Amino acid sequence: MNNNEHNVKSNKEPRPPKACGWMAEFENEHDLLHAAEKVRDAGYTKTDAFTPFPVHGIDHALGIKPTILPFIVLCAGLTGLCTALLMQWWMNGVDYKYIISGKPFGITPASIPVSFELTILFSAFTSVLGMLALNGLPKFSNPVFTNAKFDRATNDRFFLYVDATDKYYNRESVKELLSSVHANSLDEVMEDSTPSELPRSILLGALLIVLAGLIPAAIVLNMRASFSDLPRWHVFFDMDFQPKKKPQQTTTIFKDGRTMRPQVPGTISRGQLDQQDPFYLGYDPMKVTSIDSEKPIYVSTGDSLANVSAVSGAVQPPAGGTPTTGAAPVLPFLEKLPIEANEENIKLGKAKYEIYCSACHGYSGYGDGLVSKRAASLAQDTWTPPSSLHLDRIQKQPVGQIFHTISKGQGKMASYASSITPQERWSIVLYVRALQRSRNANIEDVPVDQRGSLTAPAPSQTK
Amino acid sequence: MASITSSYNPREIDNTEDMPGRRAPLITGNQTYTSVTEMVCRVAEDPQPRLWWILFGMASLTASMFLMLIGFLIYKGVGIWGNSSPVFWAWPIVNFVFWVGIGHAGTLISAILFLFRQNWRTSINRAAEAMTIFAVICAGIYPGIHVGRAWLAFWLLPYPSLNLWMWPQFRSPLLWDVFAVGTYASTSLVFWYMGMIPDLATYRDRSKSPLRRFIYGLLCLGWTGSSRHWLVYEKAYTLLAALAAPLVLSVHTVVSFDFAVSQLPGWHTTIFPPYFVAGAIFSGFAMVVTLLVPMRAIYKLENLITLRHLDNMNKIILATGSLVGLAYGTEFFMAWYSQNQYESFTFINRAFGPYWWAYWIMVTCNVISPQLFWFKWMRTNVVAMWVVSIFVNIGMWFERFVITVTSLSRDFLPSSWGYYRPTLFDGLMFFGSFGVFMTLFLLFCRYLPTIAISEVKGVMSASDHSSHLEAEVLAELQGKDPKHAGHAH
Repeated sequence: MNNNEHNVKSNKEPRPPKACGWMAEFENEHDLLHAAEKVRDAGYTKTDAFTPFPVHGIDHALGIKPTILPFIVLCAGLTGLCTALLMQWWMNGVDYKYIISGKPFGITPASIPVSFELTILFSAFTSVLGMLALNGLPKFSNPVFTNAKFDRATNDRFFLYVDATDKYYNRESVKELLSSVHANSLDEVMEDSTPSELPRSILLGALLIVLAGLIPAAIVLNMRASFSDLPRWHVFFDMDFQPKKKPQQTTTIFKDGRTMRPQVPGTISRGQLDQQDPFYLGYDPMKVTSIDSEKPIYVSTGDSLANVSAVSGAVQPPAGGTPTTGAAPVLPFLEKLPIEANEENIKLGKAKYEIYCSACHGYSGYGDGLVSKRAASLAQDTWTPPSSLHLDRIQKQPVGQIFHTISKGQGKMASYASSITPQERWSIVLYVRALQRSRNANIEDVPVDQRGSLTAPAPSQTK
Repeated sequence: MASITSSYNPREIDNTEDMPGRRAPLITGNQTYTSVTEMVCRVAEDPQPRLWWILFGMASLTASMFLMLIGFLIYKGVGIWGNSSPVFWAWPIVNFVFWVGIGHAGTLISAILFLFRQNWRTSINRAAEAMTIFAVICAGIYPGIHVGRAWLAFWLLPYPSLNLWMWPQFRSPLLWDVFAVGTYASTSLVFWYMGMIPDLATYRDRSKSPLRRFIYGLLCLGWTGSSRHWLVYEKAYTLLAALAAPLVLSVHTVVSFDFAVSQLPGWHTTIFPPYFVAGAIFSGFAMVVTLLVPMRAIYKLENLITLRHLDNMNKIILATGSLVGLAYGTEFFMAWYSQNQYESFTFINRAFGPYWWAYWIMVTCNVISPQLFWFKWMRTNVVAMWVVSIFVNIGMWFERFVITVTSLSRDFLPSSWGYYRPTLFDGLMFFGSFGVFMTLFLLFCRYLPTIAISEVKGVMSASDHSSHLEAEVLAELQGKDPKHAGHAH
């Protein structure tokens, strides 16, 4: 309700408005000060002046005591300072420690800016709110608003007021006193008789607004307490949906339609330098020619090598099977051993052969190892017997191919790359070559001076 | 000495003279309390001039464009700006510092000039404070949208988060900035509002329509002008001024820490806090001149915002402009004197590197153009001072650009050096912030007391019984103008 309405309309209350005191109007602040001194000297204390600007000396003239506001503000400032220090100490030094350049936790010089700002913030708001509180503001209903004349108190007139609650107040004597101080005019201030309760329509409107304001909060509370099978709303996408391609997806950007790009030919990945060395491969990767000219084969990585061996495995005859006609060797296998053929290497190869190979291939390489014999005796048709290393086909294989077979496996034979080092694998190849040579030798192979020592005839040869 | 402008404007009285033994009056035209009220209230009570509507139309359109661009930015992401490696702090931060700097004059005029008993502040402090609030609003928008995910900007505040289980890092200058700018914005707002309460009561008591009386009645909280209220009010105002004065200095100090606490050559200097504060006062006063010169002409407030006010502000612009020039020189001196090769490179690169054009625009506008204010003719000619104030605004924007972009684009690793180019969105969003600023300022002129009526009256009252000489001086000054001689009452 508009309490500032100065035109008092038809009074609903039967009681006539009560007088609150006398108000004298002055042209300028000097007359006001003069009059205020007289009123003060007459002993009145429930007095006030209404002026368009703060008139200096009026506090003395009216006998107004100084305000305690500065002390309130001081307390607020100290509260702000302590709040800031405690907050920073607890948040960064206790509850969630940040390690910044090894500096101590808690209060440091870096705490000064925030402490300063909060001190100011608390003090400033206390100044304003304290001022309003000490002045009893906001106060929308005031007897001084009942007379339109008093509107000039904020413009160009100065008013002196003596309140009826003063202990020396007497209506006639105050009127007489104020008449004697050269006031422009003198009015009796009447109480604000406009109804003080709010109209129903405003109350209802306010209630509806408050209720409507509760709806979002109610929805949020309901959502926090209940479950839903629906995916969450993406008001903001954050990083949930990104315009990017993942490895197994297709794309139109590249000709082959794959999002994942193969490596550039010749790329050597970190830690895979040995993949380029024939010593580790059994063949020279630089001499690999493409099997299918339309699909280039990359030989640079382990994955690509797997492709190559898979392809070569497909065109090579399965172990123990019949040779596939027309299949040319696809890999440029080494023809020459990369290690020295000496006694030490042969002994190493023999030792490793007997550990890893002899179980299937047999000590002499005829494919008659214990595992093989046992499997044959069980007559399981899932068993593929190991090849005899003395087959003509295998004898003709380059050393690199035997190394490759050990490294990658063949048919039922598993890869031994993880168990046997490349050096040992080459030693085994050397030993296999020695076995083949010894098992398929004739007397001409024996040095002339040694032939005499061969008292027994050579074992049956099935060349 | 009759001013140049008084020959065509009868309200323009040259009250800038500095004669020993006599004091020229602050406000001209034989004002009374009634006429001061009338002159200020008329601004909001009369129908607005056609120019107001034209300006308001343009400003609000620009502001709407800005808001739509912010919406687009949030939808699309900060990639629409030119910010890219190595310059990630580009225009958004330049604009932030530019606006925050402008936002310093209001509280400075109010608080520091109040503490120094500079009575001439009373005619300009209200508009300057309003300008402060609106500039800080513009400033606050930029870091808010520069964080990328603007809807999470509240993570800057220390609140007990149930999702993060952590607190802000209180050793970061960026967090200090949140506290400093937040405190500054809210304290300036209450300072501005508290100062307006008595004037809003004046507006209320002059209102003809009940609605207007009701709204202003609510806004002024039932102010009566009681002397008991005035006493507490004045104490609170003095306290606020004493609190706000160090606050003004601290805020731009903290803004400068955003740069100075980092390790980057060109940023990592102890000169930054005073240098930034001087620059902020400089740009803020320039913006006050930019706004008040047209405002006093449009609303015919030349008798309240007199040439003496403008002259004083121009003197401050001259002083702070020279301080800023000294700071530029000191930076170069320290780069040489420290014998730090990175520092030396940075400053040579600033002046003669790829951004030489920005550096020399800055020097021309900030150091050279305010030197014109050594001439009194320049300080009292409204057109000339308005042009210089625009130059200063441009120069101060370029100062922030030079500091931010030249240092970032040439950091320690030459392989990452780059040349920053803004996009159309950068330009439109900077232009748009002026729309927000002008819209708010025009609405302020339309609805709120543009001049602190009660404070002007207080100064009139003080001069009334302290020096009767002023009236004589005024009569003499007004009498000098032959056209105006008969008009003086």
